[in-house]
Amino acid sequence: MHKTSLFSQNVAISILVSFTGCALLYIALIGPIIAALAVLILALTLMVVAERTGKVEHLYRALACHQGKSLTVIIVFVLILPLILSNNYLLHVAVMGGIYSIVALGLNFQVGTGMVNFATAAFFGTGAYTSALLAINFGLSPWLTTVFGMVAAASLGIIFGFPALKTRGYYLSLITMSLQIIFTLMIINTSWLGGPNGIPNIPAYSLGATSLRMPIIIFGMDFPYQANYLYLVYSLLGLAMFVALRLHNSRTGLAWNAIEQDEIVAITQGINLTKSKLLAFALGAAFAGLAGGLYGHYTSFIGVEDFDFSKSLVFICMVLLGGMDNPLGVVLGALMLTIIDEKLRDFADYRMLMYSVILIIILLARPQGLLPKRIRIYQAAKSIVNLKI
Amino acid sequence: MSLVLSQIINAVMLGCTYSLVAIGFSLFFGVMDVVVFCAGDVAIFGAFSIMALVGIVFLQPILDAVFPHYVTIFLLVSLSSVTTAFLMLLMYRIVIKPFEGKSPLMPLLSTIAAGIALSELIGIFYPQGRNPQAFPQLLPSDVMIPGIMLSERNLIIILATIVLVTMLYWFVNKTKLGLSIQAVSQNKEAAIMIGINRQLSITITFLIGGLILGIGGFLVASYSNIVRFDMGAMYGLKGFSAAVVGGLGSIYGAIVGGMLIAFIEVFVSAFIPGGTAYASIAAFLVVVIFILFRPEGIIGEKTVEKV
Repeated sequence: MHKTSLFSQNVAISILVSFTGCALLYIALIGPIIAALAVLILALTLMVVAERTGKVEHLYRALACHQGKSLTVIIVFVLILPLILSNNYLLHVAVMGGIYSIVALGLNFQVGTGMVNFATAAFFGTGAYTSALLAINFGLSPWLTTVFGMVAAASLGIIFGFPALKTRGYYLSLITMSLQIIFTLMIINTSWLGGPNGIPNIPAYSLGATSLRMPIIIFGMDFPYQANYLYLVYSLLGLAMFVALRLHNSRTGLAWNAIEQDEIVAITQGINLTKSKLLAFALGAAFAGLAGGLYGHYTSFIGVEDFDFSKSLVFICMVLLGGMDNPLGVVLGALMLTIIDEKLRDFADYRMLMYSVILIIILLARPQGLLPKRIRIYQAAKSIVNLKI
Repeated sequence: MSLVLSQIINAVMLGCTYSLVAIGFSLFFGVMDVVVFCAGDVAIFGAFSIMALVGIVFLQPILDAVFPHYVTIFLLVSLSSVTTAFLMLLMYRIVIKPFEGKSPLMPLLSTIAAGIALSELIGIFYPQGRNPQAFPQLLPSDVMIPGIMLSERNLIIILATIVLVTMLYWFVNKTKLGLSIQAVSQNKEAAIMIGINRQLSITITFLIGGLILGIGGFLVASYSNIVRFDMGAMYGLKGFSAAVVGGLGSIYGAIVGGMLIAFIEVFVSAFIPGGTAYASIAAFLVVVIFILFRPEGIIGEKTVEKV
């Protein structure tokens, strides 16, 4: 096969795949609940078919060679999203999907190290509360307080990570569950944290003199304020994704996976267990803290029910649905679950039931998730192109 | 003095209910090496099934007319605990058996999910299931000794636990089936090799565990007078904590752990000013400290990991 024809074929594939992904997400977002579930099932079927026929390796290779093109498709899709979405509510769903994706990416660091952390919502909440309280009580700029929120969450992550050095498996899960419940109870019992009433009137981000909570006008067209946050959240998600992918492909990510496979073998290979585990917790918590800050300054209200145990479970659900230890899959899982969750808003009584049933079905039928984790290829993408297929 | 005494009785009662759930966790962990997180929800399902039985018109009056009141209660509780026993078996089939030999975190997640699904189903299908329900007072609550809260109900809760634990002790140590369960939990391969039917042992363990959980649910509902559909998660977590603090896999450890957690909770809320809100926090802190510094529990042998 000629190099040039292969090249153009790969370009077409990478553009097509990313376009299909965006289109499916868009259909799920605008359609009714049935459409969202259908998209999920369709995506799973496509993946299974691609895996069975061996096409999936080809797709991944094409995507790896032409990341720039598929990235362009996704960026254009996010940029025009406010244009093609008919109402503000759907934009709001998209923003929430972005925020939760950042949290799920953070949780993925710990899951990739073999530590299922049930306290993610506590990190998310620490970021949100720190940022909100500093902005309200001291009048600091929300940009600055979000950074403080990240730092606070990362510190909490290190504290919560210490038990991981001594225990693992069930015991670690029980500790994180206990800490999550202690966190929730402490917030309810502490009056200056808002107690059960939450914190209202959290200031919004502002650029210069314009608050992001004001509608914007671009090229003479009116956009609702959610569009501001959409661009902000998705650019931060892009940054988070970049960091996560770089880490995943680095020696740090490799060390994390080695620990997940077998701790004792990892130690004999010279991996510093303390450093790796604490880093996974601190970084994951920092991601969650960033998302928490964004959440607080976006919705302008935070309450304790946004950060309780069931929320932690939802984050685990997102990571499992997307595919443990595959950053792209985790983001897709988070987006899909957020969309399905918002569609179920009318049937609020059934939400937790749906989450638990989805979790059981994934575990039974496809424990590796939508996009399973990949074996690393440690060569430059260019050299793979030259391989004859 | 009478305050301390009545608090001790209170703590013993709470400890009894925690111990029963902890025993369930320990039984399942012993035989399958999995943490069955839906145990608390199964227990609360037991309490709701009793309420449903009492709710059936004429059932209780007819039974009361035929039998003495205690026999009626016994029949109702037996019926509901048989239900929970089979529910537990169903849970085993759906969310535990498929994950045998896979990562231990999968059954952990699937049982948590199953527990939530169960409690949500109660919330959806039980009439006004999302509101707290007053649990019918089946046990007489006459105060026997005034001043120290020793009512008939409290005595029955404590006695029922003692009887149950004794029967379990007899079953596990004196019957062939019980010994085969012990053999499976000590060494799976060796047990199969000497001709023990492992599948049967597991099935029996889940049935017995479910039975104990059903009775535990009835006792905890009688103790607190109010049941909520989502009570099971917290109840299960306390029971699991008790099992871990006592020593996972040991029945005696489960009782010791249950009592310890209950005493901490009751005494923090009774004797520390404003402590009621922090009772659960104190209990969970103790659990964290225990796991960190004595992960094998109060009763339990230290296991050294083999490569």
